[in-house]
Amino acid sequence: MISKNYLFVLFILLASYASAQNASIKGKVTDGKSREPLPGAYVRLDGSKKGSSTDAFGNFEINKLNPGEYKIKVKYVGFGEFEQKITVADGQVFVLNIALSESKENLKTVNVYGKLNESNESSSRQSEKNANNVTNILSARAMERSPDLNAATAITRVSAVTLQRNSGSDEAYAIIRGLEPRYNNTLINGVKVTSPDPVSRFISLNVVPSDLLDRIEVSKTLTPEMEGDAIGGTVNLVFKDAPDHEYFKIDGSIGYSAIFFNRKYDNFNQGAVLRQSPTDRFGPNYAAPAGYFTRPNLDFTKKNAPPTTLASFTYGRRFFNDKLGFIVSDSYQNQYYGTNSEFNIAIFDPKNNNKPVISDVANRTYSTQQLNNGLSAHLDYKIDDKNKIALDNVFLYTYTAQARLSIDTSIIGGNGGRVGPGTGTVYNDNRSFLQNQYVENLKLSGKHAIGNHLQFDWAGIYSNATLNSPDRADLTLNHLINPDFSSTPNYFDAISRIWAKSGNKDLSATGNLSYTTKLGENSALQIKAGGLYRHSTRFNKQNEYQLKPAPEANGVKSPFTDIYQANWIVYNVTGSLRSDAANYTAYEDISAGYGEFKLTLDKLDVIGGVRVEGTKQGYDTHPVVLVVRSSAQKTYTDVLPSLQLKYKLTDLSNLRASYFKSISRPALFEIVPTPVYGQSTDITGNPDVQHSEADNYDLRYELYPKNEEQFFVGAFYKNIKNPIEFALQGLDQGGQASTTPQNFGTAKVAGAEIVYSRYFGNFGVSGNYTYTYSNIKSPKVVNTPDAQGNIISELKLQNRPLQGQTGDVVNLSLLYKNDKHKTFIQLAYTYTSKTLPFVYNGYGYDYYTQPQSFLALSGEKQISRHVTLTGKVNNILNTPTTVKIDNLVQSKDLYNVSFNVGFRYSL
Amino acid sequence: MKTKNINLFITVILLLTVIASCKKAELTTFTKIKIPTSSPIQPGNISGFVKGTLLTGQTYTVTADITVKKGDTLSAQPGAIIIVKNNAQFTIQGVLNLLGSQTQPVLFNSDVNKPGTWGGFQCDSAQAVNIKWTHVDNTGGPDASGSARRTIVVNKVGVPVDIEDSWFTNGQDDLMGLFGAKITVLRNTISSSGSTDGEGINLKSGTTGIVAYNVIFSQAGSGIKLETNKNVPFPQTEVDVYNNTVVAVGWRRGSAEPGRGTSVGVNAIGHIYNNIYVNCYHGLEVFNDADVVHTTYGNNLFYATVDSFTDLVDPTIQINIRDNFYPAGASGVPQPTDLISKKVGDLDPLFVKFDGTVAAPNGYPNTNDFHLKPGSPAFGAGNSDFDKKIKGLGNQDLGAYTTDGKGNQH
Repeated sequence: MISKNYLFVLFILLASYASAQNASIKGKVTDGKSREPLPGAYVRLDGSKKGSSTDAFGNFEINKLNPGEYKIKVKYVGFGEFEQKITVADGQVFVLNIALSESKENLKTVNVYGKLNESNESSSRQSEKNANNVTNILSARAMERSPDLNAATAITRVSAVTLQRNSGSDEAYAIIRGLEPRYNNTLINGVKVTSPDPVSRFISLNVVPSDLLDRIEVSKTLTPEMEGDAIGGTVNLVFKDAPDHEYFKIDGSIGYSAIFFNRKYDNFNQGAVLRQSPTDRFGPNYAAPAGYFTRPNLDFTKKNAPPTTLASFTYGRRFFNDKLGFIVSDSYQNQYYGTNSEFNIAIFDPKNNNKPVISDVANRTYSTQQLNNGLSAHLDYKIDDKNKIALDNVFLYTYTAQARLSIDTSIIGGNGGRVGPGTGTVYNDNRSFLQNQYVENLKLSGKHAIGNHLQFDWAGIYSNATLNSPDRADLTLNHLINPDFSSTPNYFDAISRIWAKSGNKDLSATGNLSYTTKLGENSALQIKAGGLYRHSTRFNKQNEYQLKPAPEANGVKSPFTDIYQANWIVYNVTGSLRSDAANYTAYEDISAGYGEFKLTLDKLDVIGGVRVEGTKQGYDTHPVVLVVRSSAQKTYTDVLPSLQLKYKLTDLSNLRASYFKSISRPALFEIVPTPVYGQSTDITGNPDVQHSEADNYDLRYELYPKNEEQFFVGAFYKNIKNPIEFALQGLDQGGQASTTPQNFGTAKVAGAEIVYSRYFGNFGVSGNYTYTYSNIKSPKVVNTPDAQGNIISELKLQNRPLQGQTGDVVNLSLLYKNDKHKTFIQLAYTYTSKTLPFVYNGYGYDYYTQPQSFLALSGEKQISRHVTLTGKVNNILNTPTTVKIDNLVQSKDLYNVSFNVGFRYSL
Repeated sequence: MKTKNINLFITVILLLTVIASCKKAELTTFTKIKIPTSSPIQPGNISGFVKGTLLTGQTYTVTADITVKKGDTLSAQPGAIIIVKNNAQFTIQGVLNLLGSQTQPVLFNSDVNKPGTWGGFQCDSAQAVNIKWTHVDNTGGPDASGSARRTIVVNKVGVPVDIEDSWFTNGQDDLMGLFGAKITVLRNTISSSGSTDGEGINLKSGTTGIVAYNVIFSQAGSGIKLETNKNVPFPQTEVDVYNNTVVAVGWRRGSAEPGRGTSVGVNAIGHIYNNIYVNCYHGLEVFNDADVVHTTYGNNLFYATVDSFTDLVDPTIQINIRDNFYPAGASGVPQPTDLISKKVGDLDPLFVKFDGTVAAPNGYPNTNDFHLKPGSPAFGAGNSDFDKKIKGLGNQDLGAYTTDGKGNQH
């Protein structure tokens, strides 16, 4: 429906481009020094509305001109302005090659429009060079050139950034410097976006299409003006801003996941999913009859997976003498993907000291349809040279329909009585799941320069995220494989139906006032102060119905032939809504204030200050049965000093050193002591879990030899008090694992990173490597026999790495760009060494995600001035995600290769 | 200029000191729950927080959930009658003392007198549980979150649990779930419990003690089940299971999860002697994951009243009960001291009255009398000193009803 509207808009826009003039100007814009083409430079004809921006190869073309005299103007960030008068004759194609020379930026005065076109690689480098803190920036251009469908895959090419993925889904959260997502912040346009996800504070990066992004900024050190809850760093997804010139781009592609070459897609009737629970419809006292619950959504059929389709458009322009600008962007992705997964739980083997042994085995296949639609709109109004107001709205919608077919066996315990390999009770657990997720983020902001020294900026943000997953239906069957490998019939064990809903709402206000003054020829001082207040609320609602098999006349459980023949009774006829422990409300209030100074002394920049953040968190589970932990409040105030030094060794190189203190708060659901159902793992919160506090030290040398080239080398050390880590508890009959957050002590994290990128003629190479070491001593169980032969269980401290921390991270990409044939090809390689995903409670052993290598290939070829063909192949090596403990496979997920081909049309 | 700088410096230092003093350590405050004071029990309707004694000859109606707080005691005198309405349950955090007598038992039942219509005794964190000469019928209705409730649950290491001479009928899940407790379970009769799942006496998570002279009839799952928690293998569950009569259990859960007369699994230690197993789906199963080294068993009698039983679900399957006395593949194997029937009539324990039940529905009436007729092979076949640690544990006879009068009094 939405895509039809796009086509209509496209048609109208294309139709308006028919006209009769026949002269034209074309040429190429390059860096005068390096001869590199400059993409995205706007070539304007003064006094006319006509103009053109350069393509990826620096080429521009302005058509349909009347013969006559024109003044050509080119402005490009970091370069001087170019101006030249030319005369074109009737029918002439005037060729003009423009070489721009670099200019030094003046950073000493107040400038509301210090706007860099950061969507280009070279200006990204400029931003990194001039940033107050240790930053890496990935531009839209770099994203466009690479095989990245969404922000998640794009971000992995930033130094020291890797992704955490969950099995069976495409969810992805950033790991910065080997620190897992909880230690990092994800911002959209500089503000936090609430998460609809019950198990994370932030939105998954995969729901943000990379098309919407102007750039991704990863800050690894914090200045006092930044929110203090980032220990690894902050990912800021900057959406596209209103362009200086008319901008229109549309692209479309189709793709396929190779996993469906080998198996079918498991489908269920999505229409049979009841959006409302019985109590939603008929009130809390309604006794739901067996017939209320639908069956087709538990009827799993095999079909061929439909292809994945992706489309997006972006349109923007300015009006009223460029005072008012807007840009609208919409990205639509309808993806079909699958995961084949193996999931096992390890326990102590009491007969073999503490050695882990597999107790339960589950094999799962996931078939997922995920439809994302991201609509972003930006409106800015330049009142005058000193005042600007902007309105940003980001709306993300995700629809997920997933079938999970699981086969589980208990090797140890359970009622099965497994007596040898391939025997025992086998559970088939089939689940259909449907979810709607909405994220709405509205920001009104302003920037005002007062006189020559004062600048005030402010923002008010409303953010609301809701998640609605109606009628999650889970059918369990079982049969026994006897020691002689004969099998009993399939029995109908149980059905559960869960209606779940959760929401997060944030209201934030922030304001910053800065005073900037010159202190002589090469020195300047900026003093900044500001504050933030945020009120967040969260709710979680769950209503569960248990359907039990109706016994046969003789009282025995009934066999299962198919879902339409299954005969059940509703065990709890009024549902669990009234007293479900998972129903809670929670809140978080943050008030923060800071004072910051930036002193520029010739070659030295000093940025320092203090931020104070007060936190109040609490929850209420509205218990029916009174429990001590049913309602609690946590309060804490942190003082977060920060000092950053930047020394300009030369014009092209910097040396940076910094210290900052930062924190990480538990997510609200993590303090609520009730289980939250996840896709493969449930989490039970812990109100006693403490927030993490970290002291962070950084050192970095940066060299910018040329446009689009860089070399960084850096080192860091972090001391993290009370990191929050998860221990895997067990697996229930449906194959679902459970974990709980805990504090285990103090972790020390140290590391070094190196970043390099360079272009040799048509070839470019860009790579980064991060080494991180971490250590935490945590108590683990040891079982030793005493003199009488009784086993004594004791706790003993064991050294291990921090949960989620990766030792070696390598990102390497090879780029080939041929200006003549207008071709780009990029091969991207990522390597991550082993990581600890969960803490094991036995001494001497831990779970480790095995090292992984990923390879992706992307290419594009421009076939006409406006049209480019694109192609991407991801996960070429079909890399499994494997978690092992002492050489036992705890889990193994396979996603397989995915292919994508398409086109792009841009003005 | 200089002084100005020094002043600035001092100001900054002072400011930083002020700011640094802003730091407040993390404080977690649980909202104080207003727990009402316990009211002494009065005859008539009772609910809420109570303590005191249910008196002889009085009838009480429980209208909503009852909570006995830590430090409080709920007692019952012989002959007290308690009728439970509205699927209510007893939550015991203190002490439960139900002390009936042989002539005047205490009676607990629901107002509707149907299986699964009240919540039983949820004693997860009780200080002590003592139940003697008490009838507990028709427990196991769903709790507020929709889960089935066990009839009696204790879930705390070391809690003393003493359940003797009582009757439990028509529960819906596990009848007793005694996890980590120190138990004395003697001379009880458990009948027709568990809808399509649930054990008679489920002992896990480091439970220790004695289960003896009990009758378990037509339980959905296993009669007596021993396990240690998979994730916490120590302390181990170690229980003496002797002189129980277990009849017609393990059928209702279906053949995918057959129930056993007695099972020992997951690092548990059992000492299983002098029991009689008749018409159980599986007899005695010592799983391979049990602490096989320390588990001991013998002198058990296994019997089936039919040669084979037609599977209730798939009539083409004939189940030979005798083949499953010691199920194939497990670690448990027949012992020389066992009495193992070879055909119908061979080693029949000779119950005084038995209707021949194999599989029966939840709530099926137990009209049997499992006393033994004279001439029963069970007489004199017992081991009267089987536990190496406790002297003289056992009996000369098998089953719950013994000639020495120490057995079941029902």
